[in-house]
Amino acid sequence: MIKGVTFMKKSCNKYTSEDISRFVDNELSENQYHALTQHIIHCPACSRLVEQYRSISDVFNDHADQEILKIDRTELKQKIEYATQNSKGTSLGNVFGFFGKNIYLKLASITAIVMIGLFTFQGDLLGPSGPSAIVKYVDTDFSSVMIIETQKKQHTIIWFSET
Amino acid sequence: MVRLIKIILIFTAISCFYFFTQPAFAKNQVLTDVKVIHASTGSKHVDPGLKGIFSELKSVFKYTSYRLLKDQRLNLRFNQKGRVNLPGKRTLIVMPSDMEGKRIRYQINIQKNNHPIFQTRVLLKNNSSITIGGPQFNNGVLLFNISGSVQ
Repeated sequence: MIKGVTFMKKSCNKYTSEDISRFVDNELSENQYHALTQHIIHCPACSRLVEQYRSISDVFNDHADQEILKIDRTELKQKIEYATQNSKGTSLGNVFGFFGKNIYLKLASITAIVMIGLFTFQGDLLGPSGPSAIVKYVDTDFSSVMIIETQKKQHTIIWFSET
Repeated sequence: MVRLIKIILIFTAISCFYFFTQPAFAKNQVLTDVKVIHASTGSKHVDPGLKGIFSELKSVFKYTSYRLLKDQRLNLRFNQKGRVNLPGKRTLIVMPSDMEGKRIRYQINIQKNNHPIFQTRVLLKNNSSITIGGPQFNNGVLLFNISGSVQ
């Protein structure tokens, strides 16, 4: 049984127009389809609606068939081939041609790539990462020394107790 | 569009010039800034000059008052010592010795009554700072925030 479609307009007390539409479009499950087929036999309202939907569907299908028959298949094939070749050419042009024929854009792109490469090779673009200071050596008369690194900005703190 | 590309080209040319000529104008001056801070558990107070470092100190220490006692700027050459007089007959001696990558190698000594009580060697990130603390002073402690910037 079809359940749950309560907000749609009902053709009878049992099925909605949406249910009937899905029935005509073969979108129902096998059980649902079978149940509605049995229902239509005894329900003139639903039967009428099914006929209406089927006639509308037939009109659309006929029109679509006529339009398809008008298409020249040879010409369509040629157009598809042409479009495929063009799309290949464009993508290769973008990769190897650096955005077309604009020489300034090409130069700017090359320079940017070289700069990025040089900065990367040199080390870090925004300065070294890690703590603000690396402690290499500490010497004190006092026994208690702590080296702390803050979480937020990795600020280094050396703490020694004078006692 | 063409104007924008020209601007980009000029910018990259200037960047290239700066990048490749950098070694020619070798940087040998290190601007060292020493902030002497008195931290205590007194009434809540933060000097405006400590806003940059306060959030980091607050995340570690329990102190509620941070007062800037002294802010001394030293323009030092490599291997040149800079002295800062500290409260309690103490002296801070800082010396940038050289660079290691993008970090400045600093030697930092603290003396009390001309006797060394603390010495360290650190690699400080350029344009960054380190805080050294611990000496007791006036019901609180002294913190020394040392920042370095190669000129």
